[in-house]
Amino acid sequence: MPAEGGLIFSRALGNTLRALLERDPRVILLGEDIADPYGGAFKVTRGLSTDFPDRVRTTPVSEAAITGIAAGLALEGFRPIVEVMFCDFTTLCFDQVLNHIAKYGAMYDHQVECPVILRTPAGGGRGYGPTHSQSLEKHFLGIPHLRVVAASLYLDPLTVFSQLLSQSEPVLYVEHKLLYPLSMVDAGGDDSPELLFGLDSGECGLPTVTISAVPRRECTVTVFAYGYGAVQAANAAWDLAIEEEIFAEILVPAQIAPVDWGPLERSVAVTRSLVTVEEGTAGWGWGSEVAAQVSRRFFGSLRRPVESVASARDVIPAARHLEQQRIPGAEAIAQAIREAAR
Amino acid sequence: MRPVIVPTADVNSETCTIVRWLSADGALVRPDDLVVEVETSKAVLDVPAGGEGLLLRAAREGEEVPMGGTVAYLFPDRVSLEEFRERLEHERQQALEMAAKGATRGPRASRKARELATRHGVDLAALAKTGLITTQDVEAAIRRTAPVDPAPALSPLPAGQGVERILVLGGGLGATQVLDILGGNPARRAVAILDDNRELWGRDVGGVPVVGGRERIAGLYRDGEIDAGIVSISTSIRVRKMFRELCRDLGVPMTNAIDRTAKIGADVRLGMGNVICAFCHLGVGAVVGDNNFLSAYNSFDHHCVLGSDISTGPSCVASGCVEIGSRVRMGTGIFIEPYLKIGDDVQIASGAVILQSVPAGHTLKLRIGHTVLVPPKSS
Repeated sequence: MPAEGGLIFSRALGNTLRALLERDPRVILLGEDIADPYGGAFKVTRGLSTDFPDRVRTTPVSEAAITGIAAGLALEGFRPIVEVMFCDFTTLCFDQVLNHIAKYGAMYDHQVECPVILRTPAGGGRGYGPTHSQSLEKHFLGIPHLRVVAASLYLDPLTVFSQLLSQSEPVLYVEHKLLYPLSMVDAGGDDSPELLFGLDSGECGLPTVTISAVPRRECTVTVFAYGYGAVQAANAAWDLAIEEEIFAEILVPAQIAPVDWGPLERSVAVTRSLVTVEEGTAGWGWGSEVAAQVSRRFFGSLRRPVESVASARDVIPAARHLEQQRIPGAEAIAQAIREAAR
Repeated sequence: MRPVIVPTADVNSETCTIVRWLSADGALVRPDDLVVEVETSKAVLDVPAGGEGLLLRAAREGEEVPMGGTVAYLFPDRVSLEEFRERLEHERQQALEMAAKGATRGPRASRKARELATRHGVDLAALAKTGLITTQDVEAAIRRTAPVDPAPALSPLPAGQGVERILVLGGGLGATQVLDILGGNPARRAVAILDDNRELWGRDVGGVPVVGGRERIAGLYRDGEIDAGIVSISTSIRVRKMFRELCRDLGVPMTNAIDRTAKIGADVRLGMGNVICAFCHLGVGAVVGDNNFLSAYNSFDHHCVLGSDISTGPSCVASGCVEIGSRVRMGTGIFIEPYLKIGDDVQIASGAVILQSVPAGHTLKLRIGHTVLVPPKSS
């Protein structure tokens, strides 16, 4: 994987968008304040409007309008990529996504396609308060014909976006904001001497990265995690291996819905125990669905019920110490792994 | 001396990178002079001196510093600047040496593995393993390097012509049961016991000498001093299985020890290495694998199928046509309904009455049916 050492995620993503603009004239970026000099709330699009003034456009403050315009552009053959400033505001795009963008292809028997990509920063940990810290992707997970993809330090965003542009289903791409300042990890290189990285190419077109301290056959629990939870889980896997000889295999799917079951099944078949980690509120979510499916597929051979780690069903306070009590912390994840590894 | 601090203008970053210095080392700067350019995940910032004095840089270009951290110091005169520079340089050297020591700390190993290696004098670097070194690796190394001290004076008992000479593996209480079963049969004789506990070497169990640990298995068989082995340990399925595999790998046959009070029905097919204690019953057509330890009063009724490496407590009773997987551990006093399947690696608590099949790997605990001790009423 071509991620360069030291390149932080927000920069890797910015480079990716630049590369897409350069090589595909259909690509158009839309979003609030994404043009220079501001360059977006998290500076992902910095410099792009200067070099591509016609195709990187700052919009008025109306998520429904931006998403609707993107739908129109996509129907006309463009490849719009929308930045929704905070995941919390995706609720304002929901009707456009559910009733229009995701339906057009099937509704018109694929005579038209509507390949809109929505990008959005999600997650807490920075004290932004109840309406700028949420992970709302769970509300989009069940929508037919919508792919939900999660940003990761372990997979070059250019690989991901190239695949997304090579097909025509619409996509919600969720970027946990704690990933922006973190360096990309070259999962295929020698600069990760501690953990073992692997890649299961799976069946959905986007791979699942596997991370563990020891080979899979020695692991006694699988951890299915994405976003910043994947980083926390990978750190926990290393600490638990060194300090307690508890061996977990972390699976980081690029696409979180629909779930690509192959890579997960191959791991759980060996470990026979599963923990899911997500930052959305607990229940009716990603972990619940994964638990239900894995319990069916492995009925009788799991050692224990699937455990799901998620946020408390409550608002996220702005005060850092209170926020930490609501969203999954490193210790909560480690404790779940400890229990499930037995 | 006063520090020059990066303002925390960006709540999205914990650190920033020094892009370039705008003021020379040692230069006289004024409060509003911009001295350094730093970059966060969101923006490039120019940091003002914030005071007047001679500037001493505390970070190099490309270096990461925490937001709100010190990037430079300001001094009223050159003497104090030079003193501080020397101290800073000394600290930096020490930090570098510490880091170098850390880097040459050797191969990656878990904390437990490192402690075990230290206790036993195992050189982790000599293990030449690329992945994480675990206690299993260190234990294997200890076994490989342990001085083989077979105490050659200890030899098995003699046995007459045509008598099967049996090696009992494990010198604990299980051995007394196996010896009891084998006793009184002139065609078979337990001639030696092996146990990895060195303190038992040279002692005897019921008159049969403990002649060493597992490293003697191959030699005793090769030298024609034993004909077959049997595992007497009932408390650990892992160890039972290990000994069975060891015998298989070394080409040492295993034998059965069946108490003369046991009732073995017609058409029963029995593997090797089984210990079957007093008053056991194997019903007609039952199939039993290898290396099982069935305690007294077990009954597996007609057409039951048992795997291998199973260990049971007394009075485990299965109705007909029950299938029991391998490596199953059963407590005392267990009843199993007919036609049920107990998967591999299942553990069943004492007193369980099993009414439905148990999938592999599961542990069956008892939540109901426990006894309550009621004290006598005071008169």
